[in-house]
Parts: sequence; structure tokens; C-alpha cells
Amino acid sequence: MLGYIVKRTLLLLPTLFGVSVGIFLMVRLLPGDIIDILLGGDITASEEVKQEAREQLGLTGSYPEQYWNWISGAVRGDFGDSLRNAEPVSTILRDSLPITLELVFLALLIAVVVGVPLGVISAARRDSARDYASRLGGLIGVSVPNFWLATLLLLFTSKVFGWVPPLTYISPRDDLLGNLSQFILPALSISVFTLAIVMRMVRATMLEVLGQDYVRTARAKGVARRRVVYRHALRNALIPVVTVVGFEVGVLMSGAAIVEIIFGLPGVGNQLLQAIFNRDYPMIQATTLLIAIIFIGFNLIVDVLYGFLDPRISAET
Amino acid sequence: MSDKPAPEGAAPESPGKGELNRRDLLVKAGQVGAGAVAAGALAGSAKAGPSRGQAPVPTGGRVTWALEQDPVHIAPFGATLTSNHWGKAPMYESLIEWDSQLNQRPALAESWKVVDKRTVDFTLRRGVRFHNGKELTAADAKYSFDLMENPPVPGSPVVKLSGYVAVESTEVRSRYVLRVKLKNSDARLFGHLAWNRYTPIVPEGMYQQVNAGRQGIGTGPFRLLEYQPNSHVEYERNQRYWKKGRPYLDALTMKVLPDEQARIAALRSNAIDGGTFNADSASVLGRDRNLKVLKGGTAAFRELQFTIKKGENKPWHDKRVRQAVNFAINRQEIINKVYGGNGRYSGHVPPGYGPWPLSQDELKSKYLKFDLPKAQALMRAAGQSRGFSVTLTTFSTPLDFAQVASVMKQQLKRINIDVNIVAQEPGTFGSANGRGAFDWDLTARGMRGDVDGYLAEFNPSAAIFNVWYPEYRNVRVWRLVGNGKIQLDQAKRIPMYKEAQRLLLEDLVQVPLVAVTKFQVVRKRVNNMYVAFSDFNTGLHTSVYVKG
Repeated sequence: MLGYIVKRTLLLLPTLFGVSVGIFLMVRLLPGDIIDILLGGDITASEEVKQEAREQLGLTGSYPEQYWNWISGAVRGDFGDSLRNAEPVSTILRDSLPITLELVFLALLIAVVVGVPLGVISAARRDSARDYASRLGGLIGVSVPNFWLATLLLLFTSKVFGWVPPLTYISPRDDLLGNLSQFILPALSISVFTLAIVMRMVRATMLEVLGQDYVRTARAKGVARRRVVYRHALRNALIPVVTVVGFEVGVLMSGAAIVEIIFGLPGVGNQLLQAIFNRDYPMIQATTLLIAIIFIGFNLIVDVLYGFLDPRISAET
Repeated sequence: MSDKPAPEGAAPESPGKGELNRRDLLVKAGQVGAGAVAAGALAGSAKAGPSRGQAPVPTGGRVTWALEQDPVHIAPFGATLTSNHWGKAPMYESLIEWDSQLNQRPALAESWKVVDKRTVDFTLRRGVRFHNGKELTAADAKYSFDLMENPPVPGSPVVKLSGYVAVESTEVRSRYVLRVKLKNSDARLFGHLAWNRYTPIVPEGMYQQVNAGRQGIGTGPFRLLEYQPNSHVEYERNQRYWKKGRPYLDALTMKVLPDEQARIAALRSNAIDGGTFNADSASVLGRDRNLKVLKGGTAAFRELQFTIKKGENKPWHDKRVRQAVNFAINRQEIINKVYGGNGRYSGHVPPGYGPWPLSQDELKSKYLKFDLPKAQALMRAAGQSRGFSVTLTTFSTPLDFAQVASVMKQQLKRINIDVNIVAQEPGTFGSANGRGAFDWDLTARGMRGDVDGYLAEFNPSAAIFNVWYPEYRNVRVWRLVGNGKIQLDQAKRIPMYKEAQRLLLEDLVQVPLVAVTKFQVVRKRVNNMYVAFSDFNTGLHTSVYVKG
């Protein structure tokens, strides 16, 4: 198992290298640079002044040179300074990352806590009214864009209850209830898609497992239906669900970007979108790399967990 | 000229008794060598309270205002985004200020004297204190002018004072007198100071004391408590503010809410007290009896822009084709279809910008008149009766740009011009526009500190002239624009700029279209707010009070 973990971890290095090169080049391929943004409106500047500004902002030099400067700093935890507000990118991310992680965690929690039982009930009561209701809900869940749902929830609560989540970020350490009241709507908005996926996945795998011989044997031996479903079938049915949940972290991170803007949460996604509009290269690069690392990291965790849950996988590898 | 709604009762920001209007003040300031212009003595300070007979203005309370965009930073110098200014404006002031009608009046300088056409002495108001308790002196003003020319990070290095005004140097003449030396006569100085976008006065050594991107020390009506990027800016009342009795509010919070629907929800649930909305949202919110809609013009106007470059020989290089395009555009239809009937015709200087723009009557009856037969005749005369195809590039957001482009496409089809619309992300659009990499652009202009900011680009001395239209020739325009900025006598200056505008509306290297209306919606408890022409939220600083 240890060899398996080491091997999977080492495989991350070329992946991260590829991702970093991709991010660096994509940012450079965006039309226009920050000087164009800065020169909008009433500002006029000669080409010499623009060039001087580019040099001050570290935008001169060849791409390999710029890449090396960036990646060598990133390895040491120095992502450079934001081109727009000159603050260290690592400081900005340190402030915004916990917000996004909390949002993603809560969304994942909602998706699993609600999605798994719904999937189980749907499979155990196949073709019943509850099954149809769950399946219809799942279909709606995968079809509804999260930004639309977020807007709808916000307008609904403001119109009906005269309430919107607190506008200024409340740390859970200062006021846990206030924090939860702030995060519940955004977390719900981005969780719906994942919830639907989890529910459908659990239902499909449960149906498959419930048809297995050992389940039939257990029932024939007189084991209670509830015990068979939850003790025998669900444990095996959850293995592929773990994979899905791991992948869904990436989906939730991307969903968080728009929802953070709608709810005014100063998270990583919000920072990333602002940075793209402002052509703030160090911010875009660091934020995207961070999201990629989180995504890859969760995949690693899923792989390792899979090895634990199904020893055949690590043995084969 | 004002876009400010009628005062709602108490102590508005409009000029008080004895104040000079913009024109008078500049005329006086322009009297070279005429001795002191004791503007402060003439203008007096801003009114500190209600006039006799009016009910006292309630003081105290907090207003939470939604910002559509994050300030990114709140450094006083070198900030380029309008949202930078939204964030920092409550705490910073300059030597001169505009009132809600764009009249200049003394602020931190109680008076100034034009010593000769290259020298102006500003006498500072005594007893003004910064938020840290230090008294304002000429050394602070000099320090600030030095930083205006070389904005430290996080300010942008491309935003230099010399890019707007030909300031050569500054000198401390005494504890309260600052001398500004100009490279040459430059009438733009006063407007740029009054705009305050790039010219706040901060205490000497401020950049060594605080992180200017997130903190600040000014003399303004509010003292900064906290700025959290992408979240909020928090202010409290400046108890030592030099305008006695102001501000009326105890606290001001600006919450960053870029999503329009989120602002609507927050306003309806009383989580915010006001914000800016598009026309449709404002119309819907106006039906809520707890809310009121404010509207007014701003400096933002939309315009069609051409490139006229050597060797390209495009159809619109012929002035008659540009005139045909102008006469084929029905601006009222654009205003009705895109802006719900809210908007005005605009020349090269937007309506509402002091005494400088041409009148609506003149624009509508002569220069911007919709006249399809004339447009068709001009196309025939130019040998273009069969028309041509052209790509029109514009912004993808805000959405009105693409909508205006669509209406224009239909209108120009009538003179056989086939317009292919390409909507681009703002950064991409800005890059191509700055390089002159376009045929036609549907773009916009914004607020300027001085009228020269609207017309300087038609003079070959402007770098952008050679990027956009190096083949454009009109020596009269060049002379008027060139001489206008060095003419200190406003009485002479105004007709020069008006004549330049008339000539430009015949040459039409840029075709001004419409000036858009800005909507702000506030809760009924918020009084005396107004839509500022400058696109800033100036009313929040010293006018607004809450009741109920």
C-alpha cells in the first residue's frame, strides 16, 4: 500500500508541471495586458512610459524567463505580488482560501448527507412514487445552473422573508451561527448538481449490488431487509461514489466562483474572476494553480481511499 | 446643466449664497497677474446646516451602499478604476472641489492667486486636521503633488500628473502657501484638482506610516476603519471635519456586490440602503413603496469611432460617408429602444458638463439630426450608393453596447452599409482600441477633469491621434484645441471649445451618439442623495442624512 501511495504521489509531479505550463501560457495568450486595462479612460501615456510600466510590473523578458521566475518563487511559496494592489498573492489567497474551502465543504456535506439516503431509498423502493420523485429531482438537479438557482434563492428569500444572508464575511470562529446563515444559501446553490449526481450514482450502484448473489443469500438467510440494504449493499455501493465525490470537488470549486460573486463572498473564485478581468497575471496563475492542486490532491486522496476500500486496485497497480 | 434632482428639503450640496459658479471662478482664476483671487472669502465654506426656517437635519445613523465593483485598492495616487475612487473618496479631499452642479469651489485651499501664467499660489485653509490629528500644511500638499507625479505602488506608474496638467514643480512658500509652477500656461490645473480623482492631499510621510492600498489618512468627512478587498469598505464620521456639522451620518459602509440581482435582493430586504441599477431594475424597484428611484445624466456617452490610416483607403475616409453614417443614425430610436427613453443626445462633450457642451437644440436640429434622404444623397455623392461591409467591434459588457450596435446595424442597412457586430470582452476590446486595431468601434467616454480631456485626442500632439486617425487634417480644430488648453480666460475659452465641437461634428472622425442615464435606488429613509454627474457617489459624503 505504501508503494502504491508513493507511486501515485510521484505521478503528481509531471501533472503539476504540465498544469503550471498550461496556466502560464493561457494567461499570456489572453489578448491585452494590464497596461491596456490601466490605460483605459482618460489616461494617456507614451510608449516609453508604457514600456517602463511593463518593466516595473515584471512583464518584460522571454516567456521561459518569466515562467522560471514565477515557478521558482511558487515552489518557495512566493507567488509574487498582485499587479493591481501590490499585495503578496499568498496573503490574498490565505485570506480567501478558507472561505472557498468552507463553501465547498458545506456543499459537499449537503450533497452527501442528502444525496446518499435519497439514492438508497430510490433504489430500495424502485419504481415507487418516492423513486420517481427522487429521479425527477435528480434530473432537475443536474439541469439547473447553479448561478440561476443562487439568484432565485436570493430573490426568493428577500421577497418572501425579507432576508438575505449577511453581506460581510463572518468567520466561524467569531460567530458560528452567523457564519452558517451566511453560507447556507450559497452552499445549497452549488450543492444541487453534486447532490443529484451522488443520488443517481448511489441509486445505480445500489440497484446493481442489490441484485448480487450475496445480497440474495443474506435475504434468504432471514437477515432483515434494512440490515441487508445498509450493512451489506450500501458499503459496497459506496465505493464508486467516493470517486464521484472526489471529482465533484473540482465542479464545486468552479461553481463557487460565480456563486461567491452573487453572494458577495470574498473567496478564491471571486478573486480569480476579478483577476482575469484585470489581467492580474500573478493572481490568475496562483489561483488557478491552487485550484488545480486542490483538484489533483482530491484525486490522489480518492485513489488512495480506493486502494483501502478495494485492495485489489493497489495490488494490481 | 445640473443632473441633480431638486433638493429634498435640507441643506443640499448646491452652491450657497456668495459661492461662485464654475465659470465665474475660472474667469477670476484666469486673470493673470490680477492679484489675489480670494476665492475662499468669496465662496465661503460649504453650508454647515439648514437655512433659516428649515427643519434641522437629523444626524447620526449608518448608510450601507452597494458598490458594483471592488475598489481593488484605495491608494490615493495612481488609481485608474472608477471603483478605486468610490472606495477612497469619503476620506480624501483636494485643494479645490466640485459641488453637485460642477461648480468649482475652495476645499483645502481657501484661496489661490494666479501670480503669472506659469505660477499659481494656493493658500491652505488653517486648522484643518488629518484623521491622525496632524494639521494640514503646505508641506503635506507638496508631498502629495510629488506623489501625484510618481504614484507609489499600488498606484499605477502610468498615471502621472504630468499626463493631465503641465506641472513643473511645487514649492512650499510658507506654512500655509504652496506654489505650483507650470511648464507652460495650463487651464486644466483647476479642473483636475476639483475632480480629486488623482489629486488628494495626504499627510507627509503617509506611505511610510500605513499600507496605502488598504489604509489611508485624509481630511475628508469620513475616517477609514477597514477595507476588505472584494467585501466592504467601512467608514466612521470624522469628528474633526472642517465643514462644521458635516457629515450627517455617523457611519458609512460600502459593500461590494457586483451581481445586480444580489443588489436587488439586498435592497428589498433592507440589507443595503441603496446602489446603482440598470433602467429595467430601477423601473421594477420603483414600484416598491419603500424605495425611491434617482436618475441623472453622467459623463458616460456612447460613440462610434473610426480609424483613418494611411494607405488603407476605406470608404469612411471620405468625409461624406462619415456624414452619411451620422445622418442615418436615429438617436432617439436608440434612446427609446435601448435605454427605455432615458438618455440625451451627446456631442463630443457630454451634456451636463458645465458650460462646455453644445445645446440639445443645436445638436438635434443641426448636427445630429436624423435625415435619411440626406444620408442617402451623401452616399451617392461619395460613390458609395451600393454601400459596403464593415466590422463594428464593441464591448460584450455592459450589454447596452451590443444593443446599441444592433439598432445601428438596422439603421445603417438603409444606406446599404452591412455592419458585422463583434462583441469583445473589455480587456480584449481595450487592447485592440489602444492599438488602433479596428475599423469601427462602438465605445464610450467618461468623466474628465477638464474639457480638454474630451478634445485633446483630435490634436496631433496626442499620442493616440497617430494611432487612430493619422490621416485626419483640420488645422482649425488643431489650433482651437491646442490653444484652448493654455487659455486661462474662461470667457474666451468656452467659445473656442464650442467652435471645435462644431467643426468636429462636420468632420465626424468620431460620431457621438447618446449620453446614458444612470439610475440609483435608495430606501425612503435615505435623503438628499443624488446621481453625481462625475459617476462618483459624492452625495454620500456630506449631503445624505437618514430619517426614519
